[in-house]
Amino acid sequence: MRRTGFVYDERFLRHKTGPYHPEIPDRLVAGYKGIQEGALLEHLTLIPAVPARQKWIESVHHVAYILRFEEACLYGMTEFESPDNQMCQESYDIALLAVGGILAAVKAVMEGEIDNAFCPIRPPGHHAEIAKAMGFCYFNNIAIAARYLQQEFGVERVGIIDFDVHHGNGTQHIFEEDSSVFYYSIHEHPSFAFPGTGREFEKGANAGFGYTLNSPMLPGQGDDEFKMLIERDLIPAFGTFQPQVILASTGFDGHRDDEMSGINLSTECFSWIMERIMQMGDQYAKGRVISILEGGYSLARLPELIRNHVAILMGR
Amino acid sequence: MFVNKSMTRKVITGNPEMNLIEARELMIEHQIRHLPIVDQENRLVGIVTDRDIRSAMPSIVLDDYDSSDERKRLSGIRLENIMTRDLVTVSPMYTIQDALLLIQKTRVGAFPVVDDEKRLIGIISIRDLVRAFINVLGIGEPGTLIGILVDQKVGQMKRIVDAITEERISFGSILVARYWEEEDKRAVFPYLLTNNVARVKKKLQDMGYTLLDPMEWYIDKLPGNE
Ligand SMILES: [Zn+2]
Repeated sequence: MRRTGFVYDERFLRHKTGPYHPEIPDRLVAGYKGIQEGALLEHLTLIPAVPARQKWIESVHHVAYILRFEEACLYGMTEFESPDNQMCQESYDIALLAVGGILAAVKAVMEGEIDNAFCPIRPPGHHAEIAKAMGFCYFNNIAIAARYLQQEFGVERVGIIDFDVHHGNGTQHIFEEDSSVFYYSIHEHPSFAFPGTGREFEKGANAGFGYTLNSPMLPGQGDDEFKMLIERDLIPAFGTFQPQVILASTGFDGHRDDEMSGINLSTECFSWIMERIMQMGDQYAKGRVISILEGGYSLARLPELIRNHVAILMGR
Repeated sequence: MFVNKSMTRKVITGNPEMNLIEARELMIEHQIRHLPIVDQENRLVGIVTDRDIRSAMPSIVLDDYDSSDERKRLSGIRLENIMTRDLVTVSPMYTIQDALLLIQKTRVGAFPVVDDEKRLIGIISIRDLVRAFINVLGIGEPGTLIGILVDQKVGQMKRIVDAITEERISFGSILVARYWEEEDKRAVFPYLLTNNVARVKKKLQDMGYTLLDPMEWYIDKLPGNE
């Protein structure tokens, strides 16, 4: 069995998005319930979340953007830069807390206190650009984690696997010229789904060319196509890149019961991808896998999806 | 949606007395495939394409370009002898749609844009039109495309637009496909600038609309693509 860290804090529920939004606190409650029901909770190492230092937010985002977000919350604005981004007065603080929790998990993994970690945080991050909030995301959590790995622990090759059903435009753009961070994403084809990026021909730029890889899936394709693309694209790419740490943008919104998408993945398929990621983690990264929650909106399916996900991290 | 807003204004031009080698080097330097030929008053008299140049040079010359005999021969060929004089031009007040249809009709890749006195003021190429069309479709911005099957009845579009607007979602574009399996139906494709379409989709279904299966979308159904 592995020692798995668990970044959970009730305050993540205090980021409120109003009555008509899919990215709601109940998502985490559902996931927590699944972990409890699976009797996993007592075997997890709880990692307390403390607000991230501004320095780490600035390792990805522009100072002016960070200030804009903070002020919008202070003034009680309920929307930031687009009607997609519904929020409340506390959202800025909660976003800082989410990043802080993730960085604590990264630190614990790198210092060998735990083997891997699951970070069910809110708000999510992979759509957030350097200076723009997008698609329910404010700070790009996973990008900040990658910078932290590079700058604090001298990690030379970070591998990011994004299996949220939407393309992580923010993460891709932040690292598209950086050959030390490999960004892989599998998602619903951008001509059919948000955010309209992540096409097959987007492969990075300049020194980072070849270190971005996208596998778009057409609506209606299912588990078989998903698995085929992972085997065809991700496995050989990571075999060559040899990531020293793997970060996962974990999204469950590709599930067939999730209204956000149409690629019809089964519960079993989400276990399959996590097992594949764990194998790569053992092969290249000394088991160092840090999973960070992005989307996933089916309250009926989240308990089982998150329970299975965590059980695989724990090696149970 | 007019050509003068989308055309390239800084046009590289040649003149009738220019020779083949000069023209070739000019086109390579500026990475262009169409060289409009103008007289001293900047009036358009012809056009030379990279294909015209290639067919005027035997293939061996492309390798043996520097051999002085060939160079001499080629520098004796003046553009007025090889240029196309009978060419298709457009006016700056042509619409983008005009230009697209004209490309389909003539199979020409770029049109010189001339004013009423035949003076060259720009060039519009497939590249310019692609840029304009990406802008029209709104696909440079993040969003989600949905497809709705609609009866061809007055007021349907308004109902759809109102329903979406009530959800405070902005539009990147709306396409309406003219052709569908059933004569009295239209396929409407709003490109919505949001990641949050589940609710509006449900709402449209509750209003009685059928959402189209994305894999059965219009592009495959358009006629004339045998
Ligand atoms: Zn998503």
